[in-house]
Amino acid sequence: MSQAASVEHSVGQLGIEDGKLGMWVFLASEVMFFVGLLSTYIVLKAGHPAWPGPQGHLSVPLGTLNTLILILSSMTMALSVAAVSTRNAGALRLYLLATIVLGSVFLGIKSIEYSAKFHHEIFPSTSVFWSCYFVLTGVHALHVIVGVGVNAWVLSKTWDGNFWTSKSHRVELSGLYWHFVDVVWIFLFPLLYLL
Amino acid sequence: MTYKNYIVVWAGLTGLMLLGVALSYLPISHGTVVAGVLALSAVKAVIVGMYFMHLKFDSKVLTAIAVAPLPLAIVLMVLILLDKPFLLR
Repeated sequence: MSQAASVEHSVGQLGIEDGKLGMWVFLASEVMFFVGLLSTYIVLKAGHPAWPGPQGHLSVPLGTLNTLILILSSMTMALSVAAVSTRNAGALRLYLLATIVLGSVFLGIKSIEYSAKFHHEIFPSTSVFWSCYFVLTGVHALHVIVGVGVNAWVLSKTWDGNFWTSKSHRVELSGLYWHFVDVVWIFLFPLLYLL
Repeated sequence: MTYKNYIVVWAGLTGLMLLGVALSYLPISHGTVVAGVLALSAVKAVIVGMYFMHLKFDSKVLTAIAVAPLPLAIVLMVLILLDKPFLLR
């Protein structure tokens, strides 16, 4: 049984909450989506003798900082789910808000990186490397934006009268999505910045 | 899991991430760095899945769903890598 304590949501024949089962199937499809993009990146990198080339510089300190922020946000998300299991509304709202803020900071740093590249006239059309960089990080950033939005929506629902009886499982579902976004970055960061 | 457990998991993930960054600066062969850094990423992903996403405590059906794309992902990656000789021409 999950750590979430909401009780009024349907459980199928497998003994798994419908929402959680659906979310995991969705995440499995997302894995294939990102594996397609990452495989393309890897084969292009392997087939290029001087990848990423002299202009392919990325800031490792900024990338490292963003990774630290995203890992920290995963912990605050996990703490939100733990707060649901103890029915601690104050802690739940605090940790959800922290997750939203950290996700927003991640996007802010990413936008600083993007604007620096644009300032140096580096665009997706500049080279194959930069095309890959903007597509991979852009698609990931879109996922972060969705995650921040969903978490903000879930946070707003914590004030609803029926939250603890029928809506608290949403914290765990949005948490699964958020952790997935973290896992994607765990692979994107070293592939783009370190290797 | 308790709050303390989650903080311990976070500290472990942070340590592994910084280890990967440090590894990439070591004067060793590029192949070793690639293998080491990607292995660390895989370990981190498993830790996030097991503890933050609760796969360790949930039904094994969910673990099966989570792992199901991996063989397909390997097939996809191999098929795309077959293009490498074409790219090197």
